[in-house]
Amino acid sequence: MSVFIINNFNFTYPLNEAFALRDVNLTIDDGQFITICGKSGCGKTTLLRNLKSVLAPHGEKSGEILFYGRPLAEVEQRQQASKIGYVLQNPDNQIVTDKVWHELAFGLESLGYDTKTIRLRIAEMASFFGIQNWFMKNVKELSGGQKQLLNLAAIMAMQPDVLILDEPTSQLDPISAVDFLETIKKINTQLGTTIIITEHRLEEVLPMSDRTIVMDKGEIIIDDTPKAASEKLAKMNHPMFLAMPTPIQVYADVINEEYSVADSIKFNKLKCPITVKEGRNWLSNVFEDKILKIKALEKSEIKPHEKIKPVIKIKDVWFKYDKNEPDVIKDLTMEVFPGQLYCIVGGNGTGKTTALSLISGINIPYRGKIIIKGKNSNQYKIKELFKGIFGVLPQNPQSLFVEKTVRLDLLEILHKSKNDEGEYLPLKEKEERVNEIADLLEIEDLLEMHPYDLSGGEQQRAALGKVLLLDPEILLLDEPTKGMDNFFKQKFALILKKLLEKNVTIIIVSHDIEFCAKYGDQCSLFFNGNIITTNTPDKFFSGNSFYTTAANRMSRHIFKNVVTIKDVVYLCKENLVK
Amino acid sequence: MNDTFGTYHPIINFIYFCTVILLGMFIMHPIFLCTAIIGAFTYSVFLNGKKAVRFNLIFLLPMMVLVSIINPLFNHRGMTILFYFRDNPITMESIVYGIFTGIMFAVIILWFSCYNEVMTSDKFIYLFGKIIPALSLIFSMVLRFIPRFKEQLKIVYNAQKCIGRDISSGTFLERMYYGIKIFSIMITWSLENSIETADSMRSRGYGLRGRTSFSIYRFDSRDTVVSVVLIMLIILVISGILLGENSIIFFPLIKTSHITIISVIVFIAYFLICFLPIILNMIEIYILKRNKKSGDLDVSVYNK
Amino acid sequence: MQRKSGKVNVNKCDNKSKFINTRSLLSIFLYLICMPATILLGIYLLDDRKYYIVSMLIICYAMIPFYVLFEKRKPKTREIIVISVLIVIGVCGRAVFFMTPQFKPVIAIVIISGACLGGHVGFLVGSMTGFISNFLFGQGPWTPWQMFAFGIVGLFAGLIFHKGFLTPNKIFLCIYGAFATFFIFGGIVDIWTILMFTPSPNVETAILVYSAALVFNLIHTVSTVFFLFIFAKPMIEKIERVKLKYGLIDTI
Repeated sequence: MSVFIINNFNFTYPLNEAFALRDVNLTIDDGQFITICGKSGCGKTTLLRNLKSVLAPHGEKSGEILFYGRPLAEVEQRQQASKIGYVLQNPDNQIVTDKVWHELAFGLESLGYDTKTIRLRIAEMASFFGIQNWFMKNVKELSGGQKQLLNLAAIMAMQPDVLILDEPTSQLDPISAVDFLETIKKINTQLGTTIIITEHRLEEVLPMSDRTIVMDKGEIIIDDTPKAASEKLAKMNHPMFLAMPTPIQVYADVINEEYSVADSIKFNKLKCPITVKEGRNWLSNVFEDKILKIKALEKSEIKPHEKIKPVIKIKDVWFKYDKNEPDVIKDLTMEVFPGQLYCIVGGNGTGKTTALSLISGINIPYRGKIIIKGKNSNQYKIKELFKGIFGVLPQNPQSLFVEKTVRLDLLEILHKSKNDEGEYLPLKEKEERVNEIADLLEIEDLLEMHPYDLSGGEQQRAALGKVLLLDPEILLLDEPTKGMDNFFKQKFALILKKLLEKNVTIIIVSHDIEFCAKYGDQCSLFFNGNIITTNTPDKFFSGNSFYTTAANRMSRHIFKNVVTIKDVVYLCKENLVK
Repeated sequence: MNDTFGTYHPIINFIYFCTVILLGMFIMHPIFLCTAIIGAFTYSVFLNGKKAVRFNLIFLLPMMVLVSIINPLFNHRGMTILFYFRDNPITMESIVYGIFTGIMFAVIILWFSCYNEVMTSDKFIYLFGKIIPALSLIFSMVLRFIPRFKEQLKIVYNAQKCIGRDISSGTFLERMYYGIKIFSIMITWSLENSIETADSMRSRGYGLRGRTSFSIYRFDSRDTVVSVVLIMLIILVISGILLGENSIIFFPLIKTSHITIISVIVFIAYFLICFLPIILNMIEIYILKRNKKSGDLDVSVYNK
Repeated sequence: MQRKSGKVNVNKCDNKSKFINTRSLLSIFLYLICMPATILLGIYLLDDRKYYIVSMLIICYAMIPFYVLFEKRKPKTREIIVISVLIVIGVCGRAVFFMTPQFKPVIAIVIISGACLGGHVGFLVGSMTGFISNFLFGQGPWTPWQMFAFGIVGLFAGLIFHKGFLTPNKIFLCIYGAFATFFIFGGIVDIWTILMFTPSPNVETAILVYSAALVFNLIHTVSTVFFLFIFAKPMIEKIERVKLKYGLIDTI
């Protein structure tokens, strides 16, 4: 039986001529695990929201959506509430009440169940999700991952037939994200619930899913198994291909070349790998009984910095938030040179963000020295630090927006800023600078919009614009790629490159290993309040065995010093082509 | 200190506090007043420990004195004139009356300090969830949003500091300007993010007819016993009031009603009400001690 | 799957005539029976404390219809959310300025809520802000008085500005804010002080209390005018924007 049948569905938003969804035809069968992917703004969310009447956006619709054979609009609200579960992006915004148990019961209360039934249902759910230990807790005590799990459990308590998830892990750190996705898988396999999910983390989701649907500009362009879908994407040379898991990208790039007959036959026999494990096997098979011409890439060295002085120098720094609390930063020493993209990676709660706050002077160490541009940081006035030296982009870009439109917001930051002669900037000059920045960040089209109407990635860019208007020499970015899709990450990297060319120093704190490996000049691993190793990305990641990129993990048994997809493809081709 | 009384059903907690606070507001008979203040004081110290003692000394005592002084200054009724203050007679009756009012004030404040500890928000939400469901949901949501608001406030504060807007430094006008900016950001943030909360609520069927109210509280046999006892005591005290057993007249001369058997019974009932939480706690401590001893024996039996 | 108990069905009946009946019955009961009964009982039974207890009970009765009416009209999700958010802003506003006694934005927020969303919502936001913030600061005998005072300020703001007697511009809001803070809020809450401290109130104590409270009330008034002057326009814009945004997405 099909859960949803969508026939020739079109959708346009009010005051907007372009189709948000165009000619969508889709049949979703009971018990399937379906991943929908596509660039931001391709219509994924619009499609998902149209699958539940109360969440459906206003606009012009045509075509039909059937839920178990009945037009969705005719299905009672009560049945929709219970049978179609919908998990939204932000874990915090979805939680309504202050107690975990109350939140679990919320949906069941709406459906009008009696206390006895609710008691049983939430006990079941709490046990299934392993949340019985924090059942009585206040919601504010939970971590982000726990909160999203609570949202999921609260919806599962209503026993839905189909679970729709709209980028549920975009706000989570990698470890909780994987945990969350594992739970989704468990729901799918053990309860038979149909899953429809949109995700950026395709590396984890694709291996789980039965079908992958790729959307572009409101249309479904591919609807197939994950392997077939990615092969098709590769053939189409579609930008979304860059969002696919590493093994698929390597596979597609490698077979896209002329090889000897024997090799070609071999390639045709081997299937497209999705997981790292499959990728390893695939590489092993390809290079079975072959002698490698080149085994390792040359390592780049850290450029000697004898002549240049470090712009930031941290020496033996210790920090704790309170006298009675444990140290968060322990004996930290690091140096950052001008024009570098310095990446700090590491797990949750290791003190990365705190380190950033120490650099920017928000927190002050109780021991040790922080020297910024040759001067001890505590000799600067706050104003000096933040007008001209530092630009800090917070994790939550919404914490910067004040005004009604992006343009006003950008102008607002120039309020009372002075030119070189110490005079206030005239409005015209301010506008020029805003346009300049908007041009750099490609947000000209967004200038007249309300900051909160922008998507996550766009908000990030607008906030970055605000920070850049302060003309910082050092840019501190906290999890800048959180919630960005791979496609936009590339654009973002280009923006950072432009800044680096202007000799701006950039420090990034991130969970995103792939991003740091690809674009960083130096990477440091943070652990237990301290930097364990620092090196250039290729040395850094090829030295690690677990905390490293997927490309490295899938090829380390054959090649050496390989970090990015490009490296693997290069070595494969070098060794295969005659 | 773990309070047993707080683990009883919320309805009992609520009725109890309504009773003691309302009774405390008008019973002025010295014996009753003393019982109430000792009961309320003991319970508040039991609940809050040192904090309560400090609060009582710093805040309550001066307030009591203030109330006791204000009354005779403006109230010149009474027969026994002690002295004149600025040509106004100060009477013994009004002084006594002032002191009693001060004690009564303290009793009410003390009961409220206990109430604040025992009647936690979720109990309140439970009690009113069935009568005023929408408002108690609002209450619950507000309690959920407040910590989020505070968290976000910190984030915004730091983010603004990082673009050179620090409330802790600069001229007064600048700091004011930055403070307003931050508050303004917070207003937008909370209004805008609430839209997704609304989605989440409607997605889970809020607004359908026939919403029920779930709770984790259960009215068990222990609650039945205590509620029966409590209601009987309340009836006794109220009938005593109706019979005038606790009346005291201050003006023109202080006069209390005679002590009779009935008034003794009413007094005992009031005593039991005021000390009910303490008594329940004592009983539990006693049982736990006894069980622990027999439990030790049991374990030794198993060990063999 | 729809397991509704019979009781629920009866309670939640949407029948219009029944709705009006319950409401008017309740009001009749409260205003014609409870209030006189309380006053009579107070006079005959509670010799000295009658003023305090009777006035407190009457204040409570006066608030009940607002709450019942709110429940009966089945508020929509968006209304519930917006009210909660406004209460949160009020409560946090009171908490943020904890170190400056009386200098608080609460009344300004209550007035703006009333002006944007009507007197009923104004009353709810005001009284609930008073009630919930006391969960943080401690409940006391002053709670009902504060709830009532905040609520009335919001109610009148709604009646004046939402019904269209005056346009909610900065100047009118500030004038109303000053009046409301000093006379309505100050007036009501000071009655509590008088009754709490002196069981049998007289003119002299009233003068004493009001003059002692004068400075506090003045600071409070200045703060309300200040916050209204700064926040009225942007906050009204923000609320209107969200109202619009909800209007576009709300279907239930």
